[in-house]
This record gives sequence, C-alpha cells and structure tokens, in this order.
Amino acid sequence: MNAIIEQGVLGRPSAQPPQGSAPLLEIRDLRIEYRGRDESVVAVPGVSLQIAPGESYGLVGESGCGKTTTAMAVMGYLGGTGRVTSGSIRFEGEELVGASAAQLRAIRGRRVAMVYQEPMSALNPVKTIGAQLAEVPRRHLNASRSEARDMCATMLENVRLPDPLAMLKRFPHQLSGGQQQRVVIAMALLARPALLLLDEPTTGLDVTVEAAILDLIADLRKQYGTSLLYISHNLGLIASACDRVGIMYSGEMIEEADTATLFSSPRHPYTQGLLGCIPAIGSAKGTRSLAPIPGHLPLPHERPQGCWFGPRCAHFREETCGGNAIALLQADALTHHVRCARWQDIDAARADTAGEAIQAADAQAALVIDAVSKQYVLGGSKRVVQANEQVSFEVGKGEIVGLVGESGCGKSSLARMLVGLEAASSGSIRFDDTELAQLPAKKRPRDMLKSIQMVFQNPDSTLNPSHSVASPIRRALKKFGGYKDKAQIEQRLQQLLQLVRLPAEVAQRRPAQLSGGQKQRIAIARAFATDPSLIVADEPVSALDVSVQAAIVTLLLSIQKEQQSTLLFISHDLALVRHVADRVVVMYLGRVMEKGRAEEIFAPPYHPYTEALLSAVHSPDASVKQERVRLTGETPSPINVPPGCRFASRCHRKLGDICDTVAPPVRDATPTHQIACHISLDELRKVRPVFHATLQSSQAGANNE
Amino acid sequence: MSTVDPKAVPLAVATSGTSAAPRRAWTRLFRSRTAVIGLSLIVFWVVLALLAPILPLPSPTAQDALAMADPTPSAAHWLGTDILGRDILARLIFGARTVLLVAPLSVAVAMLAGITLGMLAGYFGGWVEALVDRFSDLVLAFPVLVLYVILIANVGASVINIVIATTIASAPGIGRIVRGLVLDLKQQEYVAAARLRAESTLYIMAYELLPNCRGPLLVDACLRIGYTIITIGVLGFLGLGLPPPNPDWGGMVRETTTVINVWPLMSIAPSVAIVSLVLGFNLLADGMREAWKP
Repeated sequence: MNAIIEQGVLGRPSAQPPQGSAPLLEIRDLRIEYRGRDESVVAVPGVSLQIAPGESYGLVGESGCGKTTTAMAVMGYLGGTGRVTSGSIRFEGEELVGASAAQLRAIRGRRVAMVYQEPMSALNPVKTIGAQLAEVPRRHLNASRSEARDMCATMLENVRLPDPLAMLKRFPHQLSGGQQQRVVIAMALLARPALLLLDEPTTGLDVTVEAAILDLIADLRKQYGTSLLYISHNLGLIASACDRVGIMYSGEMIEEADTATLFSSPRHPYTQGLLGCIPAIGSAKGTRSLAPIPGHLPLPHERPQGCWFGPRCAHFREETCGGNAIALLQADALTHHVRCARWQDIDAARADTAGEAIQAADAQAALVIDAVSKQYVLGGSKRVVQANEQVSFEVGKGEIVGLVGESGCGKSSLARMLVGLEAASSGSIRFDDTELAQLPAKKRPRDMLKSIQMVFQNPDSTLNPSHSVASPIRRALKKFGGYKDKAQIEQRLQQLLQLVRLPAEVAQRRPAQLSGGQKQRIAIARAFATDPSLIVADEPVSALDVSVQAAIVTLLLSIQKEQQSTLLFISHDLALVRHVADRVVVMYLGRVMEKGRAEEIFAPPYHPYTEALLSAVHSPDASVKQERVRLTGETPSPINVPPGCRFASRCHRKLGDICDTVAPPVRDATPTHQIACHISLDELRKVRPVFHATLQSSQAGANNE
Repeated sequence: MSTVDPKAVPLAVATSGTSAAPRRAWTRLFRSRTAVIGLSLIVFWVVLALLAPILPLPSPTAQDALAMADPTPSAAHWLGTDILGRDILARLIFGARTVLLVAPLSVAVAMLAGITLGMLAGYFGGWVEALVDRFSDLVLAFPVLVLYVILIANVGASVINIVIATTIASAPGIGRIVRGLVLDLKQQEYVAAARLRAESTLYIMAYELLPNCRGPLLVDACLRIGYTIITIGVLGFLGLGLPPPNPDWGGMVRETTTVINVWPLMSIAPSVAIVSLVLGFNLLADGMREAWKP
C-alpha cells in the first residue's frame, strides 16, 4: 500500500491511458445549464476529460468552478433545474446523455458509485448499517439475504472497521464521522463499480482521520482496480492521490496533465497562482510569502471576453488574451494541455515569492494562561466534558502564537474564555496584569474589552444579515473609539475599510451581497476598529477557498505587523500555522501536548501526536518527502476522560500501561520547548524528521534538526 | 512576508447592483402570483372598508320595511336585505371595518406578547424557558375555541375582550416560533461579537436577533390574522360577537340560517366575505413563504 502513495509523492512516470485501450469514462464538450425562472445559467460551458480503466483522476478548482456539477452530470443527478444541453458522456462505451431512467439505474451504484462530502446525510438515520449496505448486493447482484450479509461484513472488514458483524447492526448515529465515511465507501464499493466518484470525501474530517481514509481509498483502488474521479479543492490531497489532474476555472478545464508535471511545471497562471496560495509545510515563517490571486471567480454572467482568467492575470495582454475564446492547447508534453494563449511566454515555475525573514524577539509576556481548566457538566448528571485541563502557555507582546489541534481539542473553548464569552472553571488568565479567567465580557472594564478582540471562523455567521456590514464597525467606534460626531466615525470607518482593502461603497451593503472573503475582511476591520492589542483568530480562514485564504492570511499578517498587535491564531492546518506563527501550542483533547518556538515544533524531538499531525499533511510539493505515521481510530469523547495520557489510545509510540494510568511528565527539550510524554527526550530526538530535507525544503528552513 | 501596499487596487465587489437587500425582498414578493392575488383580495376589502362612509350606501342598521316583503336583490339593495330589511351590501362593507380593525389589532398585541415570551425563553434558557414552556403547554392544551367561548362568555363581547382572548390563545404559539429561531440565532458569531462589545441584553435582542426573525413572523402574522377572522366569525355565529345592531359577518350568518332554504343569499354573502378575506391573508402568507425561502 505504501508503494502507491510513495510514488505519488515522489512523482511517477506519466500515467497516460495505455494507447489503444478505450477510456472508461469519456466526457466530451459537455455543456450544463441551470434553468432559473427568468434566465438560464451556463454552469459548465464545455468540458472534456477522459479516465482510463484503473486511473485516478483529480478534478480541482475553487467553489463554484463546476467540478461537482460535472460529476453530478455523470451520475445523471442534476436536479429539476439542471440539464445537459450538449456534449456527450460515454461510460464503458455507452452514452449516458439522454439515457433512459432504467439505463441509468442499471449503471448507478452498479458500475459507477459516488462518495459524498457529508457521510451523515448519505446514510439513512433510521436504518441499520447492515440494512443499508445489503440493498446494494440485493439489488445489483441478485444476492440472497445471507450472501448479502456476508458480502457486507467482508466489505466492512476491507474498509478496516472493527468488529464488522456488530457494526452491521448499528445505526449511523452510533458511528463517528470517520467510521461513517468508511461505511459510505464500503457501500460504494460493494457492487465493485468500475468508477468511483469522490466529491470532497474527507473535507469534514480531521486531518489524521483524513490521512487514514485516503490511504484506505488508495488501497482499495489497488485491490479492486477501480478508477477514481477525485473532486477536491485541496491540491495537496490531489497531488498524493491522483495520477492525472485537471484544473477547472469558471466551468472550463484550464490545465490538465499528469500529476508530477502539473505540480512541478504548471503552465497556466491560475494553476501557478493556486500553488502560490498554499502555505508549504516545508517552509518556516518568513521564508516564503503567500501570493494571493487578486479578484474573484467570475459568475457565469460575468465571464469576460477572451480569457476568463484575464482580469485576474498578471500576464494578461489585450491583443492575445482579450479577443476570442482561448482554446485548450498542447503544452510541453503530449498529455499536458493548457488554456492559455501566452503559456510559452510564462515561466513554468511555481510563483514563489520570498518573504522577508523576521527575527522573533523574545518579547515580554502579554498574555499568561496558567493551569486553565474548563468543564461542562451535562444535564446536571455526572457526565463531565473536560474541554480544557491544566492548559498553560504564554503569548509575548507582538507575537503570533499558533494554537493547533483537531476538533474537540478545546482550542475554541479556550478562545471563548480569553475573550470573555465563557468563564474558566479554574486557573488563571492574565492579560496586562489583569486577571480575566472569571470575568465575562460584560463585567470586563472598557479598556479590557477594547484591547481583546476576536475574528471568528464562519464568514456566513460573522455578520448580521439584517444590517449593513458597516453597522457593527460604527457601533464599535462609537462605543470604544471615543468618536463623538458622525463625520469622525465615518472617516475612521473609511480608513478601516481601506486597511482591509475594501472599496468604500461596500459599507452600505448587506452581508448577503458580499463574498466569503469580503465578509471575513469586514470581520477583521470590526476586530481592529477598537485598536486592540490582542487578537484571537479562531480558524479565520478555514471556510474559505485557497486563493481567498491566502489573501486573508496575508492581510491579517500585514495588519498585525503594522499595528504591533499580539495574535493568537487558532487553526487545524499545520502548514498554515507554520507559515504564520512564531510559537506553536499543540493541543489534544483539552491538554497541551507540546509547545515551543515554531522551528522547534516542526523538527524532532516531536511529541508523537505532533509527529502524526505533520505526517498527515498533504503537500503538493513533490520535492518534499514525508514520513508516514498513521493513527488508528479517532479522537475519543471528552466525556469522563481516563487518567494518564490523553493521547495513549491512539499513540503509535505507546510504551505500555504507564501511558494509560499515569499523566505524562512535561519535559523541557529546551527552555522554550516542552513536551508532555512518557518517552524520554533522548528517544524522541532519535525519531526521523517527518519531512526529509530534499531540494526546496532544505533552503526553506526545515533545517533545525 | 511582504507588506501589501495599502494603496493596492481595492477588490472588485462580487455582486452587481446596488439596491439594498430588503427592497429586493419586496420585489421578489410582488413577483409571486400567489402573493399578488392574496394582496388584491385584502386590498379590495381594505379599500371598501375605508370608503364605506362616503359610498352611496344605505345605513347598515336602517330597516327598509318595503324590502322586508321581498328581500331578494333589487336596484335599491344590490345584494338584497336581511329578514329585518337591512341592506346586506352595506352591512358587509361596514362589517369589514370591524373585522379589519379587530383582527390585525389582536394579532399585533399577541405578537408583542409572544415575541417577548419567546425571546426571553430562547435567549436565557434555564428556568425562564421552563416557566414559559409550562405556561404555553397549559394554554395550548386548551381547545382554542373553548378558550374563547369561556373568556368571552364570562367577560362579555367587546373589541378589547376579543383582543385579550386572541392574545392569550396566540401568544404561546408565536412564542414557540420565536424561541426556536432565537435558539439558533443566539449561537451566531455576530451575537458573540456584540457580547464582546458588552452590548446590553436588550440591544442584542432588539437589534441583533429580532430583525432576523421578521420573515417567519410576517408569514405567521398573516396566517394568524386569517385564523382570527375565522374566530371572530365563529364567535359572531355563536352569538358571542359584537352586540347587535352592529354589522358583524358571523352574526349575519347566525341571524339568517333559519331562512337559508328560502333566501340563501342572506347567509351566503357574509360567508363568502369571510372566505375571501381569509383566503387573501392565507395566499399572501404562502406567497411570502415562497418568495423569501432561503
């Protein structure tokens, strides 16, 4: 199983369908329209792609680019308003466009299966897993009841679910998210389909679970010879899971090549831009800056003349790009196609921009978190959720501290305690020598409210849909800015909008009229309206597309630098944290596992959990070779946690009973680097670094080992 | 990292058009045929009710002795007269004035009470919610009509009493709707942002939460006005409506049922009036739901 992934990472010989063999799936000039009440929208104007038997094809693009629509068309699920208006979809030589419902039924589930993003909504909550799985062999393979049950049990074993026979009797809600997704994959594979469509199959899952699911898919693919159509916005994931990749932009294929070529020498400026937007796990803070793509994806009615990427492209020339529609041209290799009129003039390199190195001074502590615990008691019973336990760390003035961990690790509840949305159960939080742990926002002095602000996670809920986007900013200015007359407030408002690089007229808009990135900019302006000295950013970019993510992170960093504010940056994305943070705190199930300066966290000695997190990161950079550590299971429930190490149940380096029964000691690897683990530091130092220093990463700063 | 030039080109704004969101909500509503038909029916009655004093109508209480002999429609009485010789058309139009005053007024007061209860229960939770819930259960467990009859029969029929009865009967239902909405809305990040500004609870309720309840509440208000019109009709039919000789649609049906086999128009006309007005409000509510669904 390792072979497949290793090849993916190292780059492989071009995985072109063997000449002469018919493609399994052939989409040609597919045009998909959605009919509205008054007008119809051309979601996909003409897409072509082929998938060979056994091949894994990745379809990448930002939200709204038509990738899911294309996959849905293959399944014949375009809903009441969607319609294929021209083009063809041939599957195993059979035309699917215009096929009868009976024909489609014979193919769906039997020859083509789909795995959706949300496993919970793909499973019927009132039927047992066994009953749902058995439908597939009963219907498609005419299996008897007992045959079907045996097949299901075997398949559950193949997707590595423990105790398959017991699992068959369970209901979906009794399974964790990762287990549910395994069941959905098992269901999809039961009829041994020739083609499996995967639509963002791991997007809602934690990184360590995602890594395990991707391994599973790769294994099963090898075992059954299934072709995959992988849809994702995550370039790193596509790079490690696919043979060939197509990049979509506004409903068009703009570049297509085998994985190694595409990621090492992308030709289209958009592809280069996308790669420039992703923080590289191999490069430390300050060695490489993200290069956001300006502008936004055009809506179908906004598509310009000529090249659709033109308005956002630095290489745009009116005479070559502004006229006729751009054709898909053959680039360097026979199998490399690019929709760019000027591809020969553009360097086939990743648009990396070097950043300025920053020296992180050991600033004096602005925020001291000492032994903070938070328990939630459920329903007055004895069930206690331990959200945070004995969390201690410091944040220096003007410093950026990254707080990393998977869902349920307590990072958000810690953030809520800092800003005063909740009170700590015990422990102390000191900010500028004021004790905050027990002070809810309402009881905090004005100065304190002004000084600590928060940027929230969800752009769709961060602004009130009923009011103009400027209204919370005006309110904050009036309350804390000391501005009395209207003109002053308006002037400051304009300054703030300029700070987050939004045009002035945005102020009067409603949130529904802004894009996700723009809403997040407003949220940042709102946070900075009170001239805060500490910003708590809780996953501020996790809901955004990569190109927007890069822009928001860059913006946040530049404002932070300009205003000298202290930033607590909470994220589950290690590469992003590495890009942003001076110091890093790694949490698991409410406890701090490891903390230290960024360069110390990303090199041995690692806490075993940090090691696993790092190896679960998917990097599109083929030159970085990665160790593989896979965790079993998922984060256990934080209700009534056992004594001992929180991570013991999943740890790949578990020593023995001591891990289950005795809380691990906190060892000082350096004065600034602490690891909470029973394994001795000397042992941990011997661990191989997750990222081997090759080519780029050696210059990029994984050089502290 | 590179510092971004603050004078860099501002981002293009994603959406086209500058019209504010609420205006578009009304445009969408007027594009719904259901809503337009409903609204036309309501406007029809509202205009008639407003113009009643200046329309060339006989007095709704005046008895035409001549017409009593033959109460069928004539040039003088377009819809005929009732058994006491009073002009049906005039009574319908003047009756509309009562209905169109009492029903919206009752619902408005009920909304005020219901929103307050629901807001408190949803926002604070805990014992406040438990208290509001038990009270609501109690009221909702009563058959509404029986509740009305008990109330009106005991305190007598008047506009104020009908308003009070409607409020007691409707507030719990409205409260439930608001509580459900608030339970979700209070988790939104903009509410957390307001709490970080140490805004007062009243401000959060009135400014951050309430405006986001308006869609479902408008729909509900429309439906409730319809129900209240029916209720007023039923009370009138049971003899618990506004005291005679005031024109009252329900009362008009009651007074004429005994002769329905001879002169059916006397009962049919007020019934059609009730149906058309209720239908108007229901269609408008449906139209709103359709036009504003997310």
